[in-house]
Amino acid sequence: MIKLTIDGREVELERPVTVLEAAKRVGVTIPTLCYFEGLPNFGGCRLCLVEVERLPKLQTSCTLMASDGMVVRTETEQIRAARRAMLEFLLINHPLDCPYCDKAGECTLQDLVARYGPEAGRFAEGKRKHPESLDDPIIVRNMERCVLCTRCVRMCEDLQGAYAISVSGRGGHSLIEPFSGGRYDCEYCGNCLTVCPVGAIMSRLHRHSYRPWFVEREVETVCGYCGVGCSMVLQVREDSIVRTIPRFGLGLNNGLLCVRGRFGYDAVDGEGRLTTPLIRVEGRLEPVGWEEALAFVASRLGEIKDSHGGRAVGAIASGRCTNEDNYMLQKLMRFVIGSNNIDSAARFHYAPAEAFLESVFGQGITANLIPGIADSDGVFVTGGDPTAINPVLGLQVRAARRSGGKVIVLGPPGGLKRFVDHELVPMPYSDEVVLSAIVGGLMEAGRSSGENRAVEERLKELRLPSEEELSAAGIGPEALARAVDDLLKMTNPVVILGPEIMDGARASKRLFLVGAVAYLMNARIYLLSERPNYQGVMDMGCVPDLLPGGGPIGLEMLRDRIEAVLGLRVPEEGGLTLFEMVDEAERGGLRALYVMGEDLLFSLPDRARVQRALGRLDLLVVQDIYLTETAAMADVVLPAAAWSEKDGTFTNLERRVQLLRRGRYPRAGREDWRIIADIGGRLGMEKTYRSAEEVWEEVTHASPLHAGLGYSEIAGGGAVWPYHSEPLKGTEAGFAVQGLGELPGVEAPGGPYLMPERPLFHSGTLSRRSRALLSIHPEPYLVIPPSLSEELGVTDGGRVRVVGAKGTMVLKVRIDPDQREGTVLLSNTFEGANFAGLVGFTADPVTGCLTIEDNTVRLERVDDEAL
Amino acid sequence: MKTVHATELMEKVLLKNIESPNSTHIEEYRRVGGYRAIEKALRMPPQQIIAEVKSSGLRGRGGAGFPTGMKWDFASRDPKFPKFLICNADEGEPGTFKDRPILERNPHLLIEGMVISAHALRSERGYIYLRGEYPYAKVVLEKAIEEAYEAGFLGERILGGDFGFHLSVHQGAGAYICGEETALIESIEGKRGQPRIKPPFPVNVGAWGMPTVVNNVETLANIPFIVEIGGEEYSRIGNPDCPGPKLFSVSCCVERPGVYELPMGTPLKEIIYDHAGGIKGGGRLKAVIPGGISTPVLTPEKIDCPMDFVSLPKYGSMLGSGAVMVFDERVCMVKVCWRAMRFFEHESCGKCTPCREGTGWLRNILERMETGNGWKGDLELLRDIASSMAGKTFCPLGDGAAGVVLAFIKDFSEEFEYHIENKRCMVTG
Amino acid sequence: MKIQEEIKGYLERYPDRRGALLPALYIAQRKAGWLSQEALEAVSEALDLPKATVRGVATFYAMYRQRPMGRHLIQLCTNVACMIFGAERLVDLLKERYGLEPGGTTDDGRFSLVIMECIGACDRAPAMLVDTDFHPGLTEEKIESILEGYE
Ligand SMILES: Cc1cc2nc3c(=O)[nH]c(=O)nc-3n(C[C@H](O)[C@H](O)[C@H](O)COP(=O)(O)O)c2cc1C
Ligand code: SF4
Ligand code: FES
Repeated sequence: MIKLTIDGREVELERPVTVLEAAKRVGVTIPTLCYFEGLPNFGGCRLCLVEVERLPKLQTSCTLMASDGMVVRTETEQIRAARRAMLEFLLINHPLDCPYCDKAGECTLQDLVARYGPEAGRFAEGKRKHPESLDDPIIVRNMERCVLCTRCVRMCEDLQGAYAISVSGRGGHSLIEPFSGGRYDCEYCGNCLTVCPVGAIMSRLHRHSYRPWFVEREVETVCGYCGVGCSMVLQVREDSIVRTIPRFGLGLNNGLLCVRGRFGYDAVDGEGRLTTPLIRVEGRLEPVGWEEALAFVASRLGEIKDSHGGRAVGAIASGRCTNEDNYMLQKLMRFVIGSNNIDSAARFHYAPAEAFLESVFGQGITANLIPGIADSDGVFVTGGDPTAINPVLGLQVRAARRSGGKVIVLGPPGGLKRFVDHELVPMPYSDEVVLSAIVGGLMEAGRSSGENRAVEERLKELRLPSEEELSAAGIGPEALARAVDDLLKMTNPVVILGPEIMDGARASKRLFLVGAVAYLMNARIYLLSERPNYQGVMDMGCVPDLLPGGGPIGLEMLRDRIEAVLGLRVPEEGGLTLFEMVDEAERGGLRALYVMGEDLLFSLPDRARVQRALGRLDLLVVQDIYLTETAAMADVVLPAAAWSEKDGTFTNLERRVQLLRRGRYPRAGREDWRIIADIGGRLGMEKTYRSAEEVWEEVTHASPLHAGLGYSEIAGGGAVWPYHSEPLKGTEAGFAVQGLGELPGVEAPGGPYLMPERPLFHSGTLSRRSRALLSIHPEPYLVIPPSLSEELGVTDGGRVRVVGAKGTMVLKVRIDPDQREGTVLLSNTFEGANFAGLVGFTADPVTGCLTIEDNTVRLERVDDEAL
Repeated sequence: MKTVHATELMEKVLLKNIESPNSTHIEEYRRVGGYRAIEKALRMPPQQIIAEVKSSGLRGRGGAGFPTGMKWDFASRDPKFPKFLICNADEGEPGTFKDRPILERNPHLLIEGMVISAHALRSERGYIYLRGEYPYAKVVLEKAIEEAYEAGFLGERILGGDFGFHLSVHQGAGAYICGEETALIESIEGKRGQPRIKPPFPVNVGAWGMPTVVNNVETLANIPFIVEIGGEEYSRIGNPDCPGPKLFSVSCCVERPGVYELPMGTPLKEIIYDHAGGIKGGGRLKAVIPGGISTPVLTPEKIDCPMDFVSLPKYGSMLGSGAVMVFDERVCMVKVCWRAMRFFEHESCGKCTPCREGTGWLRNILERMETGNGWKGDLELLRDIASSMAGKTFCPLGDGAAGVVLAFIKDFSEEFEYHIENKRCMVTG
Repeated sequence: MKIQEEIKGYLERYPDRRGALLPALYIAQRKAGWLSQEALEAVSEALDLPKATVRGVATFYAMYRQRPMGRHLIQLCTNVACMIFGAERLVDLLKERYGLEPGGTTDDGRFSLVIMECIGACDRAPAMLVDTDFHPGLTEEKIESILEGYE
């Protein structure tokens, strides 16, 4: 126990901390500039000077450890004079442009000078000049205002791990700069903006239009881009969002955000936001009033139901919509129309992966807390780059490595590049060979505990690769052995699983093997989620065979329960998955499709086929915020409210239910749940709802998982599903896996494989509505490895024609030295230049996930003159 | 009248045989008794060597005068391995060139000292952090290291035993602050040379987080001699509070500038008048900086001060690197002060506010004064700025800069005032 | 030779790759006399270090050059001892005789001049380095004849 006195107050400490932190505990705030909680201490600004009895000199409290018997004073005349002197030093080269500076009002330097002086500067010489840099689309750097606290650099290196900026020069000539000296080449997390205490690094998005006192309201909400579910604060003025910021101590992201969360908030204000409902009249979409539109949809749905039965109607739910929205769509389908045909894009990877893993290991197997990753001593990542798919979760991996954990990546490491101990990049579609070898290595080391007999029985069937087969898959046996050695040393490991593990045939086998790795290592599993609410979509029953709460539709007990709660009947007949709905539509069996917040023509491969299928429908209703490609085909388009415009809940990949709060009112659209409830009401649904909270209220009764979980419980942030409910681990059900006994050889494809890129700066098609995100990543490009660029004779930025099985596109190339041989990447973001337009697909026979087919492509150089 | 001092009879230890044209060659070094201490030392248990160094009373020659044996003891008690031994050959303090003769003319003495020290510390990796401005020393040292490897004094299994030590030169690149030991460590690690927060001290958390001993060239060059004659015997040389031979680099207005090896405690006056031949051209002494530019300037009445770590503070200055800079009546103190400040401004690492901003501000004012544009009140402003810096900078560089100004304006205020009032220099007109 | 190759011998001297950064920068600088963005990128690639980090380090040290240099680099000390013995006159002389400003390069690209802090030659002041050659005890006549030896 350490006891000391600070400004006459007694402080008792269990473990040693700095005097600054000790002071904070007893409510004494010592002024600082370079100190920032969570960053390594620096001790450069010299503002936190304090007097310590028996020490002759003033001491910097941010670097001095508190020790027993210390007597500290933090505000004496001597200290005030010293602080005044430090501030005067800082001001000699600092422009006195507070009236003009965007930081005014939330500038630490300004505040400190107001408190300590000096009243007037005595520096008569010319100030150091350095023009403001507007070279970057997002970040404005004004180095005249910089106080060289280096908080931004420490943030960039030590927390974000991007290493994009550094101090250059020395002494009075020091500057904070990215490598180019101008434009940033970075992850654009913007976390440097949060920590800059002055107006040296600021966002360009609200340049000269933001002042802290302009902010009328601050609203805490959750990010709408991915399944991490970062908390953020919307700052609102005159019903517009002027800025989103993270806050230390708020949410699991604790002060950090990624580029999408921080800068992508303007995606709701893009050009072409729907302003009114539309109905197709003589082939053209014409604006109509809400009444007319709602009545039209209700009557058409009613007619189709009456003439063809509920099974002729289907619905697509959305990972971007709230639980309340999705629940309501599910309710409309199941309980009003009488159809189990409801599914979503979670079907591509997230839902089947989770369903499969749960069938093997029990319910809730992937419900693990994100901050636990940083504390683990080993991370095994496969199936995608967490720093791009779920960036703030990716930071946890970097943090684990920084504190000594080992990181093993199977597949291209992407943003983990500098944070990997074992980088296992196999030949394309050879992951299962490497996974088999890893599992073999773990079993050989005696890691089979016998706890899960079903798994261990199946593992006996596994055919292990020979050393030659492993080498042919691109991994040296020694490299693999070293990785396995490190896996075996982990005591508190984590397995992170991304969507790409499902790419290619035998998805179930790879999933099973990753699950087996986690089982044998006794690791926690995290499933990456590309949308903010894929988990919620599943939990709300937007899956053909699951009811709200995730119970199988076939279980009588559960059906009875929900029927009792709602007073409505669950349809008997099994429902169709998204892929089956496309098939059925093509065949003419599905007559009506209600699509909420999903651009099917974009997200599903084989555009022509999907277009054909949708074209055959009698009724296509699309509810969205923009006139997407799919909406453009619709018979009725209903404008919805967007993420920052509504209340509700999202369930993140940890299964934490979090509150989404309205920042501003939608200009035209309505909340999705409200639109659907209105339609339901017209079709005989009796229950009415006044708010999202009332919808949620019903969910907590309908879903056994959410029992007792009201908004007030959720508001605390600790609502990890299930809440007051059944235990996580269920019993092991039977499960099917394909191909454990075979090991396909590596075939040489006829051309490079086209794979989907999951870029950091974009997220589906929504992000292309954000001017900010577009300014960073404005146009599509095909990522190719250097060997291909030589072969084709194209340079960076040159063009190629990509000839795929399902389409042809001309694209710019970007040569990436880290791009895996034999593969090229294209994202699914931009109009006319997207992955989905080029390749085919099928559904995996075991898991039901999306399997990309026919994705070898032919590339031809296109000379610019030819264009 | 010339004072005869016992020191003249002292045999040279550090500069021994450097006049020989082959002094850098290993054969020549061995011919005059080199690499004998190493044999003795490798037979001694490490702890015993440390004990000898402790009893010798050797204090670091890099400027701070920290007891070397104690430093070694701390590092050796730390259970972490590997440990690093770094020779500080950054010699950047203006006026200092005392390590240069060892580096350029007696490299094997340093290598021998380092191998013995490494054995004492059980360190297997060493670096000589050599300033970039000494390209010739780099050639000499690398050649000598090669010779030492060939002769089996470096590498695995030195002299057939089970101790191994690897040594290489790490070339600095023009940053005075890298002489400060934690900045030096950052620089060896491939970083910007900015000082680290202490504690932890390098003896516990040094290079790559491992226990690290940083010693000056001259400090390490004393080790073979201590091993040879024993700590007790060594402690009788010079001032018993900080014994041993010491290198003084004497420059500016003296007849015979150069490096002198003399016992610690030799009076400043004797160094200037007896060894360096007195004031150049028979001029009158005006001021002396006794320990390199960062140490406070002394006025002539203080030159009977013994030159050692304990005596100089009593006279208001410090021994520093033992770089004696002698100024006669023809030298303008304002100009010296300005030039010193230009140095500090240039070398400030930029980490802490008072040094980064203060050195530039001080230089600005001094420059104005020096060029005849001083204003009334400038002297007070100088004093105020320097006092605001003093004791508040992160490392001693900024503190030193403040101390220089404070000393100059205290003892030579008329000269500064003359500059302000007459818009010209008092000595050069 | 690529930096990768030349750096090999240095890599084993340090426990991690970053340790070899200062030597690698020297190697890169030897090729063109200064460190261009491309040179820094090459170093960053050779050592697998972030580019911004490499730049931050390179710009901290005065002897890594941020601008193209002439064929010969004059590093003239003007610190106290050299100043007392006339280094400033030599600076003026270089300007008059060669049109060479501190920090500048002659029009014909023959010389660049950098003003140095103390180069440890105070007993033989004033002094300079030309490339890696040390020239002490300079006078106005001597400096000219020395420089004539550098084409
Ligand atoms: C700004 C500054 C510059 C220094 N420069 C040197 C130097 O050039 N050479 C040196 O040996 N010590 C220098 N030192 C002292 C070192 O920090 C350290 O005390 C010394 O290398 C320890 O060696 P020693 O114990 O053998 O003296 C410097 C210290 C400071 C604060
Ligand atoms: S006093 Fe401060 S700025 Fe100056 S060199 Fe030391 S740490 Fe750097
Ligand atoms: S907060 Fe302590 S020195 Fe900056």
